[in-house]
Amino acid sequence: MSLQIQLEAYLSRTTDSRVAVDALTRIPGGASRETYSFDAIAADGTRRGLILRRDPLGSLIDTDREVEFLAYRSFHGRVPVPAPVALEVSGAELERPFFLMERIDGGQVASPIARDPYGTAAPVLGHAFFTALGRVAMMDPDDLPIAAVLAQPTADAAWRVSVDQWASVFERDERHPQPIIRAAIRRLYANPPPPAERITVVHGDYRSGNFLHDGAGRLLALLDWEMAHLGDPLEDLAWACDPLWGHHDDTRVAGLLSLPDAVAAWSAASGLACNPAAFAWWRLFSAVKGQAIWTTSGRRFAEAGCVDLILGFSGSFTARAHDSVIAEALCQLVAGGWR
Amino acid sequence: MTPTAAELLQGIAMTVSTPCAPEEASLFAAGRLGIVALVSVLLMQEAERGTAVRLAENASLRSLLASAEPHYRLLADGLSDPGDGDLTITALDAANAVLRRRLIALHVAVESANDAPRDIAILELYCGMAAARSLDLPTA
Repeated sequence: MSLQIQLEAYLSRTTDSRVAVDALTRIPGGASRETYSFDAIAADGTRRGLILRRDPLGSLIDTDREVEFLAYRSFHGRVPVPAPVALEVSGAELERPFFLMERIDGGQVASPIARDPYGTAAPVLGHAFFTALGRVAMMDPDDLPIAAVLAQPTADAAWRVSVDQWASVFERDERHPQPIIRAAIRRLYANPPPPAERITVVHGDYRSGNFLHDGAGRLLALLDWEMAHLGDPLEDLAWACDPLWGHHDDTRVAGLLSLPDAVAAWSAASGLACNPAAFAWWRLFSAVKGQAIWTTSGRRFAEAGCVDLILGFSGSFTARAHDSVIAEALCQLVAGGWR
Repeated sequence: MTPTAAELLQGIAMTVSTPCAPEEASLFAAGRLGIVALVSVLLMQEAERGTAVRLAENASLRSLLASAEPHYRLLADGLSDPGDGDLTITALDAANAVLRRRLIALHVAVESANDAPRDIAILELYCGMAAARSLDLPTA
């Protein structure tokens, strides 16, 4: 049975009326979910643009679709995110877990390899991007639906929970001895950051390429919340500022703002300070986390018969790029006094 | 280890020979072709430099390990360095794996001994290794 027929069956059953599906199109990108755009046409002819996010047969990152769905529920109306519509953990007619959300039309997403993708809109868009992240960090997780399904670390343990998680992912999936990331993991444990100023929802993949914008400086939607968790908000800030997402521009983070301007926008919105020592730790952590993800990409690409070339790409180019980021950061941090 | 050139070439073959479902025929198909193009650019660089990069890294690792050997008992690990006589990528990677395991053990020992000069030498070696293996992409 085709996906279109499955969707029509699901939507007709759950709305108790005949619903047709039109313009069903798979959207590229995203190694942890299959993403489709379509129009749902009700019996009276009303069209509704929707996005389907369905679990693939094998995914890059083990994530919980309920977490992502609840993230949209938590933040819709507070920061720009699409409205969630439905979650089906059992898969129902679509046979695999999925959720639906409203489609936001007219937006564009930057390619990670694009040079200066935001053009003259970068300053305004950058302010909106880092301000929105600060607003996420400002919110008390206990007031949000997503908190019900997330473990809450203590402020002094958040760093350890994060590094434990990604170090274990790396250990599990390493195929060839990787001395650079191993050295970085040892150094992260040996030089812990100060306790988190606050425990907040961490998006987990907040970066250029994971948001929609209108091309003129307006932030339309923050996407891809599948790695959301509770932790130190500096984790998101550091990930957003990682050189890998910098669009080949050493003067701006995320291809948007200078680092001081990005941090200032985030601090103003969150009410949090950005402790330089803590931020340096989280920046190294970000590269380690990235390298762990790319290590998993490489293993899954090879073990699954080299079918999914996006995994081969991220296991190659991005893995080597993050090795350089980690090696240079280690030299600087040790020169600056790290043990 | 990052995927080998052989694995990436197999991935390209699988990608271009796998038919698309009807709903994948536009944006998704274009995206797949884009990835094929990007991986092809990576493979061009591996074809040109892959052997030379591995030979140079293995030589650097042997040199650093040899300089540390009088101070750190590294060769007691039971691993045998097969050398670089066989210039296939597979053989060079096998030798590299042995050398990298020794480097990891050495670095742990150096950190434990607070041997700052050798620690810095290893970190600088990491920078060189990473830079030599980095891959370039065309920018859009």
